[in-house]
Amino acid sequence: MRNLHFLYTLLFGVAVLLFFGLAYPHHLHYQEQFQLFLFDNNYVWDIVKRPGGVADLLGRFCTQFFLYAWVGAAIIAVLLSAVQLLTLRLVVSPLQPPSTGGGRRLDNSSPCGGRLVGAFYGLSFVPSLLLWLFLLDENALLGGVWAVLFTLHVVGMFLHRPVGWLRRSQLVVAIVLLYWLVGPLWVPADGMTLGTHYHRYPTVTPWLLWAASLFVVVVPLAVRACRRWTGAAPFSSLISHLSFLFVAVVMGVLVWKNANMKAERVMGYDFMARYQQWNRILETVNREKPNNQIGVTVQNLALAMHGLLVDHLFDYNQNGLLGLLPDVGTDATSPLPTAEAFYQLGMTSVAQRTVFEAQEAILDFQKSGRCYKRLAQTYLIQGDYAVARKYLAALQKTLFYRAWANETLPLLGDEAAIAKHPEYGRLRQMGYKEDFYFGDHVTADMLERLYFSNTDNRLAFQYLVAYYMLTGDRDGYTKLLQKIQKP
Amino acid sequence: MRKHILPLVTILFSLLLAACGPEPVSDARQEASQPAIYPDYIGVTIPVNIAPLNFSMVDEKALLVDAVVADSHGHSLSSQGEEAVDFDLDDWHALLSQNRGDSLTVTVSAKYDDGWHTYRPFTLYVSADSIDYGLCYRLIAPGHEVWSKMGIYERDLSTFDERALIENTQFEGCVNCHSFNRGNPSRMSLHIRGKHGATLLTGDDGTVTAYNTKTPATLGLCVYPYWHPSGRYIAYSTNTTRQTFHSAHPNRIEVFDEASDLQVYDVETNELLLSPLVKQDSVYETYPVFSADGRSLYFCAARALPPNGSGPGMAIDSIRYNLCRIDFDPQTGTFGDHIETIVDAAAQKKSVSFPRPSYDGRFLCYTLADYGQFSIWHHEADLWIIPLPSPDGDTSGLQGNEAPSGAVGGAAARPLTGANSPDTESFHNWSTNSRWLVLSSRRDDGLYTRPYFCHVDTNGVATKAFMLPQRNPRRFYRERFLSFNVPDFVTGPARFDSRQAVRAINDDRRKDFGVRK
Repeated sequence: MRNLHFLYTLLFGVAVLLFFGLAYPHHLHYQEQFQLFLFDNNYVWDIVKRPGGVADLLGRFCTQFFLYAWVGAAIIAVLLSAVQLLTLRLVVSPLQPPSTGGGRRLDNSSPCGGRLVGAFYGLSFVPSLLLWLFLLDENALLGGVWAVLFTLHVVGMFLHRPVGWLRRSQLVVAIVLLYWLVGPLWVPADGMTLGTHYHRYPTVTPWLLWAASLFVVVVPLAVRACRRWTGAAPFSSLISHLSFLFVAVVMGVLVWKNANMKAERVMGYDFMARYQQWNRILETVNREKPNNQIGVTVQNLALAMHGLLVDHLFDYNQNGLLGLLPDVGTDATSPLPTAEAFYQLGMTSVAQRTVFEAQEAILDFQKSGRCYKRLAQTYLIQGDYAVARKYLAALQKTLFYRAWANETLPLLGDEAAIAKHPEYGRLRQMGYKEDFYFGDHVTADMLERLYFSNTDNRLAFQYLVAYYMLTGDRDGYTKLLQKIQKP
Repeated sequence: MRKHILPLVTILFSLLLAACGPEPVSDARQEASQPAIYPDYIGVTIPVNIAPLNFSMVDEKALLVDAVVADSHGHSLSSQGEEAVDFDLDDWHALLSQNRGDSLTVTVSAKYDDGWHTYRPFTLYVSADSIDYGLCYRLIAPGHEVWSKMGIYERDLSTFDERALIENTQFEGCVNCHSFNRGNPSRMSLHIRGKHGATLLTGDDGTVTAYNTKTPATLGLCVYPYWHPSGRYIAYSTNTTRQTFHSAHPNRIEVFDEASDLQVYDVETNELLLSPLVKQDSVYETYPVFSADGRSLYFCAARALPPNGSGPGMAIDSIRYNLCRIDFDPQTGTFGDHIETIVDAAAQKKSVSFPRPSYDGRFLCYTLADYGQFSIWHHEADLWIIPLPSPDGDTSGLQGNEAPSGAVGGAAARPLTGANSPDTESFHNWSTNSRWLVLSSRRDDGLYTRPYFCHVDTNGVATKAFMLPQRNPRRFYRERFLSFNVPDFVTGPARFDSRQAVRAINDDRRKDFGVRK
C-alpha cells in the first residue's frame, strides 16, 4: 500500500507536469515575462523583509524558470506533489503517538495508519488540487504555493512534538516565523498594505489559497473526529483506492472546466511573436484562424514578415485597424504584440513607449525581463547608450538574460558594429528620418512617412496598403501609387 | 593545549583584520590629470552638513579606489573600497565642521591591473552656508500615461536615510504634485490622482483634509501648488493638458496645455480667489508662485493657440511662455489690475517655466527651453536667474555680472552657468536660507532625473552642481529606475501621518473648494 501511495503521488505529479507542459505552457511564459528576478542583495532584501517575503522570493525564483515551460511545469509538479505528501502526513499524524514520531511514516503496519489512510487518502490531494486550480489563473503567483507548502511543513513538524511547555513555546516561535515566511495566509487581509504577494491583482482575495491553507487545520481535526469510525472501517485499502480515484476524477473535471484555453491560445500568439516564430504563427493561423485582437495582430505581422500581408489580408480574419496596429491599451498584456509590430516596422520610439507603458502597467509593480530587453534594444538603436547600459546592467543580474546582455554591451557606442548588426543596423535604416508629431493612434500618414523615409522598408509599405484596404480608403491608395510612380 | 588556543585565535583574528583593512597605496604612478570620478564632485562647493560625498572611478576596470580628504590644519579622512569609497559619517561631518568656509583637498588613487595610479588632487569647498534638513521628492518612472509603484519620499541630507511619506501601494491611484510652505515640514499640499482623486492639505496640528478642488467656476482640478509665505493662501493653476510624441527627435514627448488658468486658494475661508486677468481664454497661465513678501504673484503666460489649433502636427512648438507678474494683496486677497511682463522670452523664441523666487527676495530662478512649459522632456532646457527689485526698487542683485549676448528678458537675466549641463535642467527649488538650489537634471543618462545642488552667492553666481550623495552612488543610481520628481527642501522630518492620509484618500468624502463671489 505504501508504495502504491507513492505511485499515486507520482501519477499526480506526472499529470501536473503534462498539463502545464503540454496544455498550459504559455501561461507559464506569461508569468515569466512579468517579473525580473535579480541576483542582487538589494532586490532580495526588499522582498524578504516583508511578511510573506520568503515565500514570495522562492515563488519569484522558481518563476524565472518558466521561460522554459517544461522546466516550469516540472517545478509546479514537484511543489504540488510535495503539498500532497505533507497533507498526507497531517492525515496520518493524529493516529500516531506524538512522542514516537511514527506518524511520519505511511505504513500499514502502524497501529491504524493504513485504515485511516484508507478513509482519508483522497483528502490528501485536495490542497494540491486547490493549488492547481489556483495556478490556472495567469495572475496567481507561485509564492502562494510556497506559502501553503511552508505552512503544511511547519504544522506537520509541530504536530510531532511531544505535548508540553516546550511545544507551547515552540508554537509561539513557529507562529512568528511562519508569519515572516508566508505572511498572513490565514487571514484574508488587504494584501497591498501588508505586502503579501499571492496574486498579481493586489485587490483579489485568493480564496483557493485560503482554502488550501485551511486544510492545515481541517485535516487533523477531521481525522481526530472520525478516528473511531475510521479505525473500525473495513475494506480500508479499497476505500483508499476509491478515494484516490474519486478525487482524481473530480480533479480532472475541475481542472478541465476551469482551464482558460482561450487565454492560452492568445498567450501562444504573443509568445510566438516575442520569439519571432513567423512560420509557426502562419502554421497556427492556417489550422485555426484567430478571432481575438492579439491573434490577428500577430497573424498580420507574420504575414507581413513573409511579404504576404497585402495579397492575403482578407484570406484571414480581420478586425479592422484594431487587428493591424491597435491603439495601445493601458494594460500590461495587449500592448506587447503591438509593440513587436512597431519594432519590426522600425517605429522604434513608438515600440519603446509601448513597452515602457506595458511594463508600468504590471499590476504588482514588478519589472519584466522581456520589457527590459526590448527597452535596451530600442535605446541602443536610438543611440541612447547610457540608458541602454542601465537596462543591460540590470539584465546582467539575471539568470537567463545575462548572456544576451553580455553579448550586447560591447555594441554600445560602436557605431560600425551596430550598422553591421542584422537587426539593429536594419532597424536604424528603417526608422523615421524627419521629425513630426503624432498622437496615440497610428495613422496612414505615419505609415506613409515611415515608408518614404526608406522605400526599402517593405514592411511599412505592406502595413500602409493594408491600412488603406482595411479602411476602404481608395483615394489614399491611389495617391500612394501616384506618389510612388512619380519620378 | 588550551593555552595555545588563545594566541592562535589572536593571530588568526589579527590576520583577518589585516586582510580586511585598506591596502596601502604603494609604487603608485603619479598622473598629471585629476581623476575621472562618478559622480563628478571635482571642485564643487558643498554645505557643511551634507552627507559624505562617496564616489567611484568612472572607469569600472578599477580594482580599488582610495581617497584621502585633508584640510590645511593637518586633519584627514580616508576611505578605500572596491566599488566606491565610503567615508565614515561621523568623521566626515567632523572634518566638514572643522573646515566651514574653508576648502578640502581630495587625493584619489585607483588600483588597476598594472598597479596603483595617484591623480592630481582636487578641491572641495565647504560653504559656511548650511543646507536644510532634508529633501522631499516623488519617485516615479519617466513614463507617459501609466504608472507603476510611486510615492513621496523624504531624504535626510546629512545621512543616506530615505523614508516613504506615502506610496501608491497604500491605495489605488497615484501621488502627484507635493508642496511645502517654505520647507515647513507640517504644511503640505499633495495631489492624489486616479479613482480616489483628491488634494490633501495638512494642518499645523497634523490633520489631513481631502479636498475636491474642481469647481464650476474653474477649468478643472487645481495643480502646481505654491504656498503664500503667510501660509494662508496657496496659488494653483488649472490645466487642460495633452501630450504628443516626436517621430525622430531627441525630445521624445511633448506635454502641453490646451487651456490653463490661475487661482489662489484661501485656506482660512475655503475659497478660491479668481481674477479675470489670470483667467483669460486667449492666454495660457501656469506655474504661479508668490514672491518672498507675498505681495506679487509670478507666473508663466503664453499666447494660446487658436481653437482646434493644437494636436498632432500642429504648432505646439510655437507655444512660448513669458515670465509675468501681478500684484496680490494678502490683506484682502485681491489681485492687481494689470499684468507686467518680467521676462519676454517669446520675443527671443524661448519659453519660461518653473519660476522660483528666492525666499530672501533677491532672485528668481526659472527654466528656459525652446518652447512649451514641460521642460523636463527638453534636452536644451537650462536654468536662468534674474534679480528681483528690492522693496525700494533696487535691482542691483546681479551688479558686476555682465549679461551674456542673447540674454533673454532683460539685461540682468542670465543663465545659471554653474548649475547647467548640456542635458536637461528643469524643476528647482531654493533652500530656506536662499543659498542653495536643488535642481532636477537628466545629465546623468539623458532619461532618469536626478537631484543636484549648487550654491548661489549674493551676486547670484552658482557654483558647479553636485549630485545628491549616496552611499554607493554608481550602484544606487544605476539600480534605481525612477526619476526624482519635484524636489523640495524641508527644514525637518515631515510631519505627515500616512495612515491618516490613506484613510482620507479611501474615504470618498471630500471637502469642496468654494469660490469667492
